[in-house]
Amino acid sequence: MKHKSRVRKASFLIPFLLALFLPLYAYVGPGAGFAFLSSFLILFLTFFLAVFSILTWPFRLLFKAIKGQKAYKKSLIQKLIIIGLDGMEPTLVEKFMSEGKLQNLSKIKNTGTYARLQTTTPAISPVAWSSFMTGSNPSKHNIFDFLSRDTKTYLPDLSSARIGKPKKYLSFGKYNIPLSKPEIKGLRKSIPFWKILGKQGIFSTILRVPITFPPEKFSGHLLSGMCAPDLKGSQGTFFFYTSDKDKIKKREGGINIPVDITNGKIKTYISGPENNLLKKEKELRLPLTMTIHEDKNSVELEVSGQKFNLKKNSFSDWIKLTFRPGLGMKIRAICRFYISQIHPHFEMYLTPLNIDPEKPALPISHPFIYSVYLSKLRGSFITLGEANDTWALNEGALSEEAFLELTYSNHKEWEDMMFNAINKTRKGLVTCVFETTDSIQHMFWRYLDNAHPALRSGQTKMSPQVIEELYSKMDTLVGKVLEKLDDHSALIIMSDHGFKSFRRGVNLNSWLYLEGYLSLKDGKKKSEEWFKDVDWNKTKVYALGLGGIYINQKSRETHGIVNPDQETKALKKELLEKLDGLKDEDKDSVAINKVFDRDELPPGPYIDNCPDLVVGYNEGYRVSWDSVTGKVNETVFEDNTKAWSGDHCIDPRIVPGIFFSTQKINTANPSIIDIAPTVLELFGLDVPSHMDGQALINTQEDSSLKKNKQRKKENEPRKSKRLH
Amino acid sequence: MWVFNSIFGKIFEIVFFPFKSMTPWIGMIFISFLTALLMLCVFRFTSHQQGIKQVKNKIKAHLLEIRLFKDSLNVSLRAQGNILRYNLKYIGYSIKPLMVMIIPLILILIQLNLWFGHQSLTPGQEVILKVEVDEDLSLLDTEFLIESSSGLVIETPPLRIEETREVNWKLFAKETGIHELSMTVNGHRIVKKVAVAQKSLNKISPVKVRRNFIDELFHPGEAPLPANHPIKSLEIKYPSNYMSLFGWRIHWLIVYFALSIIFGFALKGVFKVEI
Repeated sequence: MKHKSRVRKASFLIPFLLALFLPLYAYVGPGAGFAFLSSFLILFLTFFLAVFSILTWPFRLLFKAIKGQKAYKKSLIQKLIIIGLDGMEPTLVEKFMSEGKLQNLSKIKNTGTYARLQTTTPAISPVAWSSFMTGSNPSKHNIFDFLSRDTKTYLPDLSSARIGKPKKYLSFGKYNIPLSKPEIKGLRKSIPFWKILGKQGIFSTILRVPITFPPEKFSGHLLSGMCAPDLKGSQGTFFFYTSDKDKIKKREGGINIPVDITNGKIKTYISGPENNLLKKEKELRLPLTMTIHEDKNSVELEVSGQKFNLKKNSFSDWIKLTFRPGLGMKIRAICRFYISQIHPHFEMYLTPLNIDPEKPALPISHPFIYSVYLSKLRGSFITLGEANDTWALNEGALSEEAFLELTYSNHKEWEDMMFNAINKTRKGLVTCVFETTDSIQHMFWRYLDNAHPALRSGQTKMSPQVIEELYSKMDTLVGKVLEKLDDHSALIIMSDHGFKSFRRGVNLNSWLYLEGYLSLKDGKKKSEEWFKDVDWNKTKVYALGLGGIYINQKSRETHGIVNPDQETKALKKELLEKLDGLKDEDKDSVAINKVFDRDELPPGPYIDNCPDLVVGYNEGYRVSWDSVTGKVNETVFEDNTKAWSGDHCIDPRIVPGIFFSTQKINTANPSIIDIAPTVLELFGLDVPSHMDGQALINTQEDSSLKKNKQRKKENEPRKSKRLH
Repeated sequence: MWVFNSIFGKIFEIVFFPFKSMTPWIGMIFISFLTALLMLCVFRFTSHQQGIKQVKNKIKAHLLEIRLFKDSLNVSLRAQGNILRYNLKYIGYSIKPLMVMIIPLILILIQLNLWFGHQSLTPGQEVILKVEVDEDLSLLDTEFLIESSSGLVIETPPLRIEETREVNWKLFAKETGIHELSMTVNGHRIVKKVAVAQKSLNKISPVKVRRNFIDELFHPGEAPLPANHPIKSLEIKYPSNYMSLFGWRIHWLIVYFALSIIFGFALKGVFKVEI
């Protein structure tokens, strides 16, 4: 060792000593040039930017003053942090707090506020978070579910965004060269509160809030969350590679790729996006070669010009992939590999192909360079909206342990981003939504429910401890944020809805079929996915999405048969009477608490896009998996045996969210639509009239807050605007 | 040393052979290209590639940070501090490949100086021959017998300068070619080559030195004099060479430096090298 060290020292010393004897010009070679030229440029640029920032600083302040921005003039606080813990359940929070397990949240409850937070109808994340950011009911922001329906085809569409193809092309050989950008259109309406803040010069960083894809322009930074697609344009398509022919089956949300092992090698591919550059579109594929080292329990993977080893039962880092559709174009993606089995059969999970934040194929942040900045600062990170791969666990492509590892790894990335934003925000707003809580509860709730049918099938290695640990980790996160607060800062912790067990599924389409509202084609007793065998010319009602019932209305649906006015009203009344309190005879239990008529919901310009009826299921029930995808048969109630065992798409009154605040509030019944007005109030801005919610700040109880100018009339007027 | 120099010199003669009758720019472009390849190789295998990549990413991130947080002077200044910090780290990562590169680069530069550093003489041009002698040799009493081939005329008698221990002659180039100049001192005969109007790209050795590691390293163009020779060195004061670009006279070293960096940066992506 000593000898090696001496040799190493000498190898550095000799050239150095030699260099001392040489004329200066001898050093100035290209090797030195590489390093010193780059360094010099960086130094020059840094110096230039420093001078530029300092010199332009007063002018920027002046410009703001001229623009009439009144940032922080009447503001009660300098900095506000909002942490969204998607789906955090109040009964669990209250239980754990009473057991002394959530000390940081308890601290906020004791010194500030804790309350249950009314959610939206329906209680679904995209709906609730859209109401959170706009302060409006769904009829004003146009998001009523994950899915909306195409009235021409009766097929589902993504409710939040539409990604179209470029409108103009240049035909060149086998290529169609796009001459315009593809249409990427956000379908959420109304104005998020951070846009209003930005207009008054209050800077915001918005991280991973659902329904922020495509990102809108405003004065601040935004990284899109739920509903940002993967590179295949889906909401997350995972891949499962296996040499076990028995395991080749349809996997919801994923693609099976069978592989053969020849002499310890597997030659396969990664299935990429469609090549839109070709006239005859074709899937882009990347060759993937794997060499199995059984002795080392590892596999060497070779893909996209990279070679790396991966041990069994561990995730790879983010691997960059480059797809080449032709004409020198490149489409970048990032993904992670996980080998779950080598012997007797090879099994590997591959995450959905995430848009590479360093070179995004679609805009996922505002400004565009924000995701580039984050990627360069901390390395690649997950960009897919539905980040945690619940389908992979549901469909057996990932084990429970692997799912948790992946989910917490994603969570760590978001935490890092949030603290980076908090550290850089002296004044302004930082909002970050963590979907960790939602995903883990969806997939592990059955461990809290001894009667859950899923405990009798599938993976059951875990215990209720999983959920308790989740809550404890979130409490630790809150503790770390509390340390960042000063006297001029405020913190809000909230969830968009709560959680309940999902034991039984209700196939509404089957119920409609059995009750004679939905008809199948002649001779059919069931229909495959997406209403394949439904006879629309005889169908009066159908169900789509997580809680919506639609009347097949004339002049609205292509094959509509129900007249819009009186006939529709009468039909809805009939359905309400039958469905309210619908009983699951096998379990002697009520499956549906209440069905909400959209005409009774708060009005707004987009109410026509709302389902005609929204179903509020009882605890333990939810729309069945088959009903969501438009399958029809003769079974109405069925056990839910999937790992996805907890849910919230039920009666909104029984799944409120949580609300913690370092400030006192003026009501015991806050609602998610009140958050946006509260934020504006905290920053001293007027609440626009289009917002349905009301500010929660009670300035009389908290001397640090300014006098409340308006809304002292308490709950009467707001109740009329509320849903419940 | 001479064996090494002659082998290394031969390699350069082979490299430049196709370009001898072309403009020196072609040879310079070619050697810069080869150097860039060599340097990329050295960087690829001796540097901490992952570290360099990470540090460069950090620098870029903080540069973007200045733009993203332009309204926050505090963040901008911190970002600038971080850029300087990571820049130092970047230089640190570059030291190892630089150290490895120094020796081959010095050898290459010395050889290139023979090819690009001096202009050959043109017929009708005068040039000084300078001979440096040993301390033991009596400058005034020693006889320097000097002869040249027909293309070269010795114009003046020797000019002895005791202070600098040197003797000078003025030579006149009459004809093109590689001429030989022979000198006898105390019975020791020396032969020195003199180049007059050769092709565009010439190897010109201005100095012939006595056997000594450092002197031989820097003057590898000709075989050295024996170590005990009374003459230390013989030098023909060729005019310096410059490369011409749109009428500008640029030192060959600057051209070489710029071209090899340009090639290096252009090829780094092809060879997947972080520099």
